[in-house]
Amino acid sequence: MVNLTIDDKQVTVPKDATIYDAAKAAGIRIPILCHDKKLHPFGGCRMCLVEVEQMKGRQIPACTTPVTEGMIVRTMTDEIIQARKMVLELLLLKHPIDCPVCDAAGDCDLQNLTYEYKVNGNRFQDEKFQHKIDYENPLIERDMNRCIHCGKCARICDEIVSFGAYTFINRGIEAKIGTEFDGPLNCEFCGSCVSVCPVGALISRPFKFKARWWALNKVKSVCSYCGTGCQLTLGVKDDKVLTTIYDENQGFHNGQLCTRGRFGYQFINSDKRLTTPLVRKNGSLQPATWDEALGLVAAKLAEEKNAGGKTVAGLATPRLTNEELFLFKKLFRDGLGSDNVDHSAGYAHAALTAGAAESFGGTASPATVADIQASNLLLVVKTDAYETHPVLGFEINLGVKRKDIDLRVLSDKRGKLSKLPKAVTYVHKPGQEVALVNALAQVILAENLQDATASGIDGFDALKQQLDAFAPEKVAAACGLDADTIKTLARDYAKAAKALIILPLGLGYPGHGKALAQALANLALLTGKVGKEGCGVLYLGEKNNSQGAADLGLFPTAGGADADAILAGCQNGSIKTLIVAGENPVVSYPDRKKIEAALDKVEFLVVQDLFLTETAAKAHVVLPVCSFAEKNGTYTSVGRAVQRVNQAIKPVGDARSDFAILNGLLAGLTGNAPYADTTAVFAEIAATVPAYAGLTMAGLGETGAILPATIKPRFVAVEAAAIPAESGKFALVTGSALYHCGTMSRFGEGPMYVCPEGYVELCRDDAQALNVKEGEAVVVKSAAGELKLKVKVGARMPQGVVFAPYHFGEASVNSIAVGAPVTWVSISK
Amino acid sequence: MIMPLLQGLKITFLHMFKKPVTLQYPKERPVVVPNYRGLHALKVSHEQAKCVACYLCPTVCPAKCITVEAGEDAKHDKYAARYEIDLLRCIFCGYCVEACPVDALKMTQEFELANYKREDFVFVKERLLEKK
Repeated sequence: MVNLTIDDKQVTVPKDATIYDAAKAAGIRIPILCHDKKLHPFGGCRMCLVEVEQMKGRQIPACTTPVTEGMIVRTMTDEIIQARKMVLELLLLKHPIDCPVCDAAGDCDLQNLTYEYKVNGNRFQDEKFQHKIDYENPLIERDMNRCIHCGKCARICDEIVSFGAYTFINRGIEAKIGTEFDGPLNCEFCGSCVSVCPVGALISRPFKFKARWWALNKVKSVCSYCGTGCQLTLGVKDDKVLTTIYDENQGFHNGQLCTRGRFGYQFINSDKRLTTPLVRKNGSLQPATWDEALGLVAAKLAEEKNAGGKTVAGLATPRLTNEELFLFKKLFRDGLGSDNVDHSAGYAHAALTAGAAESFGGTASPATVADIQASNLLLVVKTDAYETHPVLGFEINLGVKRKDIDLRVLSDKRGKLSKLPKAVTYVHKPGQEVALVNALAQVILAENLQDATASGIDGFDALKQQLDAFAPEKVAAACGLDADTIKTLARDYAKAAKALIILPLGLGYPGHGKALAQALANLALLTGKVGKEGCGVLYLGEKNNSQGAADLGLFPTAGGADADAILAGCQNGSIKTLIVAGENPVVSYPDRKKIEAALDKVEFLVVQDLFLTETAAKAHVVLPVCSFAEKNGTYTSVGRAVQRVNQAIKPVGDARSDFAILNGLLAGLTGNAPYADTTAVFAEIAATVPAYAGLTMAGLGETGAILPATIKPRFVAVEAAAIPAESGKFALVTGSALYHCGTMSRFGEGPMYVCPEGYVELCRDDAQALNVKEGEAVVVKSAAGELKLKVKVGARMPQGVVFAPYHFGEASVNSIAVGAPVTWVSISK
Repeated sequence: MIMPLLQGLKITFLHMFKKPVTLQYPKERPVVVPNYRGLHALKVSHEQAKCVACYLCPTVCPAKCITVEAGEDAKHDKYAARYEIDLLRCIFCGYCVEACPVDALKMTQEFELANYKREDFVFVKERLLEKK
């Protein structure tokens, strides 16, 4: 610790602090334009000049100068104020004074400082810049005339996002922030640059001219796309969510968001939202009153209850709040006496609800998000961890670049994570993950690298015996990696002081189920890398509340039908009533033909959704519900973080929250009084679900809480499913596109601007062999059907492997993929 | 007792030889002072409203009678797609004119604002445009 004096105040700070950090700790504000707490110090703007007595009154930048013992710092002398005024005058020399039409006005650092330092005139004169404004990309407007060269955009894009879209170009007075060949911006559009821009040089196009900063009501909430659980601030005006607002003090991610989080909010006030209940009359869905629609549902459910509850089933989306999911489960368990409840097609949660449950004794990951940066070695299964959870991808980027974490990626294709410094990507044949992970475990046992605690864990001998079949030499050929590479990876993993395994889950990854989760768990348990900081296995649930759905038992827990069985039941008549809350099986579950046939056949289909989705169009009753911005509740995210969502706007149209609907139906069926509000339900969750014990809604506050994990380790030997190869065909792997999450992001304008339709991605050699170019349509044919998709040619795919995202309703990839980890397809023009 | 009465009558009598104060409105028109704060007008320059929809007038308005919605024109510039003043709420304080950074708003000498229907008191952009 170092002691120093700032403006006559004694401050004690760590020795790696800068004067700026020390002043902040002492509550003294030093003005800055180019500094950001997430980025390396830059020292470019000269606003933070301070005087240090020991340096003979010289003015030095506070943001780049480390503290020394006994330093005496003055932050506000007349000379400093003069110097800062001059800095502002020089900046305003070129900066256009177009505050009336600039969206940054009100939230502009330059404007605020100009006001604060009373810069009313300018001693200098010059012409303004005449740079061309980039209107060409759909999401980020770049007006380099307003730029003050703080370099934050270039630095955040490089340091945190690791994309590197910007850099300074040209010299002297002509210097500006430029893109590749100074063309229009073409990046992954996470908008991090927009969020840190201190002026209006970078602004969000979807929000352009929509409202002024000071007119927005700022409501803190949690993003409703992926499972990362990013906190965000919604900018609300006149009961409309107009934008998301950057707050660098929010969450583990310091306000960082991805494309969908930052630019995908438009689904909330979309024109396509359902505003009134619909009831099927004479074959078509007609608007109806709530009494009529709910009356029909309640009558049918009462009938089902009397019939014993065996013929009713429910599929709920893990996008609902914990309270709603709890009520959904309770409606079936207590209200109807049925256990036919599931979510995420049954397999996208199996890694947690079956895999982790058996291997670690609980449905949660034995690691948290904080462990990513605390680790020494990250073993990431699939480069898609970046696509499914971009903000966790930023954490990985930061870990690798700042903390020198050794990144190893096991994947069937390369990806953005492969490009990180020193990252090693082991590109294996599709669907071979389990065999490969078993081989790693085998090497650890064969070379005696296991932890001393491993032999004491249940199932050790059985595992040891079973793993003999997975010696690297035996599986190398099938995996497409050589035995030595596998051995080196196993040794590096075992020898790392702290190592964390990351496994993304989701509807696009049918192979990431129970078996893979357990194979990875075995690996972590063998090496004793569980339950310690920077160690463990982090299962990344796909949706915002996937972890909550697993915790609250939203899957058959007493021998009921799972998603697959429910849909089969609809087909064969054993399920007569199906309630679908927010799920869109027609597009997101495997085998579209089968699902459509099942939903067409079921006697009574109730769909609760925001939109008239492909599934809702088949329903007998459609109930319009509220988005996350219209309700209160909690979400549980990756790494067991429970956080509150807060209502920002009134429900759109006549929509009611799933909570209100389920609460009413439950009370009607059981005859008990309905719950008063979400707090009452959360209290019941805290009382009945062990992991949530002791939590209260009020106690969660703005930051939320991390659920405790009790680990009861057990080895479960898993067999690798054989992947039948078909020669002459391409291996199609499905997954998530970076800009989308599930099927809801299709209703957010931002993601649709950058990625409007499905595609099939293949490597250059394959494209050349097929004689197709980027953007051309090809016919992709599997045993289940055929599909016309546009071609995307990329360097990341290995030869013979093609990738297609699953989010899109038209030409949906589930019409050719039926739930196998790998689908063999032929591609023709 | 009688004297005050006579004094009063004297004033009345004297007024009979003075120019009458009463204005025979509407036949006679009053002289409106130049800085009178009457109906607002949006100034026009180069055949379009000067207003850039900066929202400062609705922000400063103490009566909350101004509604602005910005739009983006073909040249990507900001303009007021909607500009309305609810004269039933307006207190004619003139803060909006003072706040305007581009001198796009003025208050005219127009004071005859009576109307038959409430909705007619809401002046939309077309009605507010300066008449030349």
